[in-house]
Amino acid sequence: MPIGNQKPKVGIFGLTGCAGDQLQVLNCEDELLRLAERMDIVDWVMARSQNDHNARLDVAFVEGVVATQRDLQNLRTIRGRSKVLVAIGTCAVWGGLPAMRNEIPREVLEKEVYKSDRPFLDTVEARPATDFVPFDLMLPGCPIERHEFLRVANALLVGTTPEFFKTPVCWECKTKENLCRVVHCNEVCCGAMTRSGCGARCPSHGVACSGCRGPAEETNYDANITMFKDRKISWVEIARKMENFSAPVWMKMGLEEEEVRGGR
Amino acid sequence: MDARTVTIPHLGRVEGHGGIFVKIVGDKVHEVNMDIYEGSRYYEALLKGKHFLEVQGIITRVCAICSANHTVAALTALEKALGIEPPDRIHRLRGLLLLGATIESHALHVFALALPDFLGFDSVLGMAAKFPAEVAFALKLKQLGNRIQELIGGRAVHPVNTLVGGFGKLPSKAELAKVRAELLATLDPLMATVSLVKTLDVPEWGQQPTVYVALRPYDRSFFRFRGVAICTSKGEEYPLEQYRDVIREFTVEHSHAKHSALASGETYMVGSLARLKLWGDRLVGRAKEAFDTLFPKGHVDNILTNNWAQLVELVHCIERGVEVCDLLLDMPEAKSELVDYEVRAGRGVGAIEVPRGTLFHEYEIDDDGRVVMANVITPTAQNLANTERDLRSAVEFLIRRDGKKADPAKLRTSLEMIARAYDPCISCSVHVVRTDE
Repeated sequence: MPIGNQKPKVGIFGLTGCAGDQLQVLNCEDELLRLAERMDIVDWVMARSQNDHNARLDVAFVEGVVATQRDLQNLRTIRGRSKVLVAIGTCAVWGGLPAMRNEIPREVLEKEVYKSDRPFLDTVEARPATDFVPFDLMLPGCPIERHEFLRVANALLVGTTPEFFKTPVCWECKTKENLCRVVHCNEVCCGAMTRSGCGARCPSHGVACSGCRGPAEETNYDANITMFKDRKISWVEIARKMENFSAPVWMKMGLEEEEVRGGR
Repeated sequence: MDARTVTIPHLGRVEGHGGIFVKIVGDKVHEVNMDIYEGSRYYEALLKGKHFLEVQGIITRVCAICSANHTVAALTALEKALGIEPPDRIHRLRGLLLLGATIESHALHVFALALPDFLGFDSVLGMAAKFPAEVAFALKLKQLGNRIQELIGGRAVHPVNTLVGGFGKLPSKAELAKVRAELLATLDPLMATVSLVKTLDVPEWGQQPTVYVALRPYDRSFFRFRGVAICTSKGEEYPLEQYRDVIREFTVEHSHAKHSALASGETYMVGSLARLKLWGDRLVGRAKEAFDTLFPKGHVDNILTNNWAQLVELVHCIERGVEVCDLLLDMPEAKSELVDYEVRAGRGVGAIEVPRGTLFHEYEIDDDGRVVMANVITPTAQNLANTERDLRSAVEFLIRRDGKKADPAKLRTSLEMIARAYDPCISCSVHVVRTDE
């Protein structure tokens, strides 16, 4: 994916979210200053006060969900001015936690939180940025892993296309020789359904994978569910773990809704 | 009369999406709004009905910079609800995690977000050309804060190792000793930046008498971030459980984040400057030295000095971090520590002092361990009303001083500096969580 510019113009943007993916960019402390020498970061509101909101961009990074009309307008503008658009983080790629309960109408939520009868919020159902405009690259993670961001940035700078493994977390977990949270501990672990790249962080700390990076490629959901059920894990327990990060995506990709929410 | 407006559509160098709108008619300020248009994510609805074991992993995602703080506040509240008393080691490790979070957050804010204003740069990247050593040190300090969070929490952003009742995996003695050495090594260069900052002028338009609120530290004689009661600079003290009566929340049309005031109607400030106002006399060692250097006449009512107060706290965090490492190194090594407990219905409040001020979490769970009520009040939401008050007084001061000549560009910069001094965390403030029974 050659960007054809010696010192590419770059923008980093956040829609609605926790700013965790932009923070991970700032967290590249050892590399940040060198990176800033190789690219011209012209629009990054979180880190600068003087920004060029009109410049054509060689690369734009976008985190977050679309949760307001303003988010959608911003996203369309960013797409229009960028050659290469990269989604960073699970919110932008899959919807993440903000999209977890989209079945509840916004008015109900608004009343519950703000205790106000007058609707004054700019609010729409939270959906991933990738639902609205075409993206050239997607980097999931909640938050993204620093090493993955640096690989993308570097690949774009040298004019190649970065490749990422689409294997499940289990693959990395095995290489770390962790005890399996399902086989040995009878827990609902989302590792077999979730994209690797995190180095199996959770199981390496003795905690089951929560699925924060979104689905792996060609996952066998039915076999996973059978594996949990065979261990006498209740539907309630399975749903509890699986409906957090990736339930909407898992459902879209073939898992029956009843299976995720079963027993409720 | 000529009316004019000063608008900052998108406030830079802060976390999240917000802007400032000021309407001036003649020489009077008619309207000051801190517009918060970050989208709402309704975390309360996401939590209601969830099992309490899911709470930490969800609520930490309210905000990335503050993820460790939300985590510890949530675990503290849930453990109170369940009647769990965390043993010493868990208490200490969480303390170290919070210190790491504060080191990271303060280093980022003081050096990368606030100092460029005082030195005349638009970003830390621009500042790096003229002050390479200082910027490199600041990044190193921030990295150390992250490394501590990574070691204790399992990840620098959104910790995974932090559980109700303890930790999945404990750091080894070798790792703790390494962190201790690195903390110690930052102390001298940090004091050098205190000397640099001492030479900078603090503009007088940030001055304004203010009410401050901070928690009374759990330790009777020292400066600490975890507290046992809510105290105000007017001498009042309230139990943590009464926080909803002390802090009155209300909605305003121009903000997706709620505003707060005391029962008296007064707005107030929470954060580093508030903590130094109430407990600054408890600082010891180099932190006391930093306080005396940066506040030679004691605490001052100027919000711009909140940046300096954060620098004082940074010194405290480094020294206290070394102490906590020593306490942990004295304990026998273990691979993990998780308290046994029974699930029961209950309600608990967790309140801690985090980089931007006092953070409250409250949860009620039923017999099956499901969340029936959740409430989070963040420091930034509490500070918003006071921020607008300070913005107004700064504009009035500048118009009084410079008359109609008051340069709009200068007004804008001044307003940005005030807002930034509060170190607002807009993600936090908008993602208020509240579910009433």
